[in-house]
Amino acid sequence: MRVVQEFTKGLWKEIPPFRLVLGLCPTLAVTTAGKNGLGMGLATTFVLVCSNILISLLRKTIPSKVRIAAFIVVIASFVVIVELAMQAYFYPLYKILGIFIPLIVVNCIILGRAEAFASKNSVLPSIADGLGMGFGFTISLTVLGSIREIIGNGTLFGTSIMWSSFEPFGIMLKPPGAFLCLGLILGLMNFISSRQKGH
Amino acid sequence: MVVVLTVICGASGLVLSYTNKATKAPREYQLLKYVQEPSIKAVLNAYDNDPIKDRITIKTGKDEKGNPVEKNIFPAKKGSKVVGYAYSSAANGYHGLIDVMVGVDPEGKVTGISIMTHSETPGLGAKIVEPKFTKQFKGATLSSELNTTAKGGKIDGVSGATHSSEGVVEAVRKALELFPKVKKEVG
Repeated sequence: MRVVQEFTKGLWKEIPPFRLVLGLCPTLAVTTAGKNGLGMGLATTFVLVCSNILISLLRKTIPSKVRIAAFIVVIASFVVIVELAMQAYFYPLYKILGIFIPLIVVNCIILGRAEAFASKNSVLPSIADGLGMGFGFTISLTVLGSIREIIGNGTLFGTSIMWSSFEPFGIMLKPPGAFLCLGLILGLMNFISSRQKGH
Repeated sequence: MVVVLTVICGASGLVLSYTNKATKAPREYQLLKYVQEPSIKAVLNAYDNDPIKDRITIKTGKDEKGNPVEKNIFPAKKGSKVVGYAYSSAANGYHGLIDVMVGVDPEGKVTGISIMTHSETPGLGAKIVEPKFTKQFKGATLSSELNTTAKGGKIDGVSGATHSSEGVVEAVRKALELFPKVKKEVG
């Protein structure tokens, strides 16, 4: 029961970019298309789950004085593995995501989950937490990327879905579009949850 | 404290060096595939193999330090018959090296060239990438005709960019000079 709870909290209640407003750098930068958001999200999920597992296993061995350094080494190792694998098997995606793959190291969600959750809990809840947060992040990036792609380019995952006379709004693919879109989603989510609370 | 950190760092280094080794070949392949294949395709006549997969590395000499210089040769095949070779060649232009992908048929005639990297002046020397200039090299052989018109050859250089044009000619010339060796080693 608890494991399920740890998993689902990342999907709505604490969905990283929209609720915790963490990891905004990749959220804003790479979501120019649904596919990019999905790729970035999955890469981050992999790192998050792996680092959560390892850190939760090592939580009793790592002295608290050097815990941040140890966490960063663990996280950075997984990020390099992801980077090399992407380069080897998904080169076009690697080219698009570029510098944001190595920058997963400094994504606050990952260090945040390591520090706040994995270092205090056993392996199973840590996996659930990592998966939940990772999927939450992936969903957020994919949704944001898809919205920007539909309005900015008239396509979804590369296929044209808008009517033929649709004039794409170029601004949605540029940084202002990312802020606009993120702000509107944040507002919408706040609206929905305040209605749920009955205010 | 020190021990734990050392062990973690050591283990991380070990895992990463292994991953690096394991992904080295596919990474190299992908890099060539996406960066060089467009140029290779452009300079060769029709073929039905994967020149990147069939690439052969040959030693072309030694640099100043005595280390061997290697070059990737991309053979184009139809069935099992080699119908062309593509390889890069570089020469000095006006600003640094011009890297040219040269396609050569088995008789030693150029089938096409494509400029891969250069840092020539935009608007002047940079015009060497235009098909108007590069297509003149089609059919060129190692002869006095492979020269700019200013030097009595048949290649019409880009106006205002003598050095850049001559750099490309020089790169193609170097490629053709290497051709007998390429043919011998690749077969």
